[in-house]
Amino acid sequence: MSTSPIAAARRRTELGLILMAATITAAAYTLASLGKNAVIPPILVPFLIVVLGLLVVAHLANRVWAKGADGTILPLAVLLHGVGYVIIARLSERSAGLQTTWTFVAVVAYVLTLAFVQRASDLARYKWSFLAIGAALLLIPLVPGVGSVKGGARIWVSLGPINFQPGEFAKIALALFFAGYLADHRELIATAGWRVGPFHLPELRHLLPIALAWGFAVVVMVAEQDLGSSLLFFTLFVVMMWVSTERASYLVIGLMLFSGAAYAAWRLVDHVQTRVSIWRNPWPQYEGKGYQIVQAMFAFANGGTGGTGLGLGSPNKIPVAKTDFIFAAIGEELGLLGTTAILIGFLLMIGGGLRIAVRADRPFEKLLATGLTTIVGIQAFIIIGGVTRVVPLTGIALPFVSYGGSSLLANYVLLALLVRVSDSTARRLGETPNELTTQERFEAYRQRRAAAKARA
Amino acid sequence: MNKQIRRLAVALLACYSVLFVQLNVLAVGRQEELNADPRNNRQTERDFNRPRGAIVAADGTVLARSVPTPRGDEFRYQRQYPLGDLFGNVTGYYTFSYGSTQLEQTQNDVLMGDTDAQKLRALSGLFSGADNTGSVVLSMRPDVQQVAAEALGDRQGSVVVEDPHTGAIIAMVSNPRYNPADVAVHNSKLAEDALTFLNAVPGKPLLANAYQERYMPGSSFKVITTSIALENGVTNLERQFPATKEFIPPQTTDPIQNYGGTTCGGSMVEVFYRSCNIPFAQMALELGPEKMVDGTKKWGVGEKLPFDLPGPAASSFGEVSDFTDQLPLLAIGGFGQGSTTMVPLHMAMVASAIANGGVMMKPHVIDATLDHAGQTLSRTSPSVWKTPIQPGTADTLTTLMIGVVNQGTGRPMQLANGIQAAAKTGTAQLNTTGPERSNAWIIGFAPAEAPQYAISVVLKGGPNDEISAGTGGKLAGPIAKTVLDYLFAHPSGPGG
Repeated sequence: MSTSPIAAARRRTELGLILMAATITAAAYTLASLGKNAVIPPILVPFLIVVLGLLVVAHLANRVWAKGADGTILPLAVLLHGVGYVIIARLSERSAGLQTTWTFVAVVAYVLTLAFVQRASDLARYKWSFLAIGAALLLIPLVPGVGSVKGGARIWVSLGPINFQPGEFAKIALALFFAGYLADHRELIATAGWRVGPFHLPELRHLLPIALAWGFAVVVMVAEQDLGSSLLFFTLFVVMMWVSTERASYLVIGLMLFSGAAYAAWRLVDHVQTRVSIWRNPWPQYEGKGYQIVQAMFAFANGGTGGTGLGLGSPNKIPVAKTDFIFAAIGEELGLLGTTAILIGFLLMIGGGLRIAVRADRPFEKLLATGLTTIVGIQAFIIIGGVTRVVPLTGIALPFVSYGGSSLLANYVLLALLVRVSDSTARRLGETPNELTTQERFEAYRQRRAAAKARA
Repeated sequence: MNKQIRRLAVALLACYSVLFVQLNVLAVGRQEELNADPRNNRQTERDFNRPRGAIVAADGTVLARSVPTPRGDEFRYQRQYPLGDLFGNVTGYYTFSYGSTQLEQTQNDVLMGDTDAQKLRALSGLFSGADNTGSVVLSMRPDVQQVAAEALGDRQGSVVVEDPHTGAIIAMVSNPRYNPADVAVHNSKLAEDALTFLNAVPGKPLLANAYQERYMPGSSFKVITTSIALENGVTNLERQFPATKEFIPPQTTDPIQNYGGTTCGGSMVEVFYRSCNIPFAQMALELGPEKMVDGTKKWGVGEKLPFDLPGPAASSFGEVSDFTDQLPLLAIGGFGQGSTTMVPLHMAMVASAIANGGVMMKPHVIDATLDHAGQTLSRTSPSVWKTPIQPGTADTLTTLMIGVVNQGTGRPMQLANGIQAAAKTGTAQLNTTGPERSNAWIIGFAPAEAPQYAISVVLKGGPNDEISAGTGGKLAGPIAKTVLDYLFAHPSGPGG
């Protein structure tokens, strides 16, 4: 296997950045333990070996299966994941143990995704399957006996001891479907079939599948009372329509639809009204539903610029600090500097993802990278904005940072797909040799054997 | 599609900029407001997990300190008050749920190491994680405090001992007392119970009555009336007052009597040491409302005392308009009755000013604040508050007050070893029918020729109390004597 200089440089950068992210994580972990218990954690060395080992495995997977891929987004994910892990460990040692297991599963899923999907364009062929998978994942929590309600939202599935949120995976499946469908039909959709006022609309025939998919997702989400995910799907849909058709009218239509839906939801659903009133003024409901958001505000203020220091704040005062409100815990102990670092981390990841989209030369891959990046960027915005009272709060995990297996697993799969798109582009641009995939090599081997047999 | 993707990047950047702005608003812009919210106890919680410096007496005795708690405690440090209730009204308490009081409140930044100067000095030790707490050193002496507390016993009242030249408070006991340790316990239920109890018991133990309460001064106020009369030429040492039993002031038919209804008169010196009432009523009337009120204001009556403990009270005499149509009120005000009330600390300051040649110093309990390394952060330098009288007037008043100790009502305050004291007693008659009949006072200083200490003692009359029946000289005098005798026997501490 040969390696081009460009690819080698990218992998070296990646290794260097991963080591830095790991160093920051280990230092933060030690400080948090010193701050909280005044002792250096006894499990520091095994912790470092496990974490470093896992990260090196992810890096090695890139070296084997994605030589030419962008070298920055994996280290960024590692940094966000590391900071999140430290905060989770600081909040609850038991949760940290589980999160370690999930980290292991997530990294394995990352490696398997890279190993299994060796050509990004192959995924386009399965768009209808992804639609079916996405629909099924969204519907599972509504099945009696399987789905369960936590925190008012029916988005959980309980199978024996395992609980997970299928919605986290549905968003990837739907992004794959949107990208695949729009790549094929974008020109037809962009061609105006008829017009209403200033808006050029495509023929319904072309719009129908995607509108159905989106409407289905939104309706299911509303039925499950998962407003954060509804908002995420909505934005994903509008962005992908806009980017693929290059028509700004989709943004306008999207905004109108959103306003209408938001107004209807506000009028019809009590839950939404409560959220909006808490967002506008949480103080009168301090003893009730406004408590969490006020505690988050106290946490940011207590952190100030430099934070209280890891292990020295009181983030346990915020209900569910380790999942939806982990950003407030970071704000308390790492201050404005820490939260800004997280924001920059997400911005760099968005930048990296969109650069992969711009560089990609095939519409499907371009749209897929755009969609996946939008998911991460918007999801982080929705929850950070909710916690800081920029937008009404809708419970949703902060990608890579929050506690939770489904979210971590789904986000590492998402990351692997982005890396895959980046690598495929690099191969086509000739930055790295376009080697055969494992599958192709196996097929070639089989045919050689068959030919040899035939000759013999 | 690339154009749209780039625009998407810009749009997301804009969204995140909004988040960044909002984070600045929460963490910096509204930080003080949010941290000060009473529902937000994070700062307190953090403080309870940080070390806190000590409050120490003049001789280095620790009055308040924080010690690490055993594992399993809610917080990392426990505040301790080794002398129990002896300094409770000076140090105050430091609690998690109920705030802090007195020095624990006002010196919080020094004790936590949060003053700008301390933060600056701590920069060098930023990474060594060194303890940055400061300490507060008082001018007060625990041995004198102990002697004064024992002399007071369990009677309600106060003793204040002051250095007349610097304003430094040497002892200040307010009875009833409380032990701040009872309130500083981490168990919030116990702390709440202790506070509820302390708020409910009679005598307001949480209030430092030595400087936060005011009492009718009775005859001890004659010092002030005399000083105003001397300054305005209304009297001098040679003036004679006729012996009378009753005096009817203008605007009334109700006569003024001397204490116990006696016939009383004679020279200025004699009426002062015998503490006749009528001559002082006459002097107050001769001065008139304007000069009288103006004179009391020169002594700082009506103003909050310039003290370095929080919430000092203000003494009160009245305004000119209160007296122009109420001359009998002015007349009885001349001997400290009627609407006149004085803060015990203020009376110690009055005695101090006479001892200090007519210059009244600002009283203080804090001698210095130190940083973690023992370097001085600030030191209290003596400063003048008022100059109520001329030095000559001070000398005349000293002569009069020596007479009180040698021949008059202040004889119980004659000191050991022939040290000459100067004093004035007071027995304020609160009312004639109720159970609380009088407050017993004595104010004074010693040695009269070169004063070192000024003192004010007040005993608050209670129901069925010896105080209600006795006079200031008999009850308060021995307490002042005990404290001053101890001070002259041990000028620099219990050892010497």
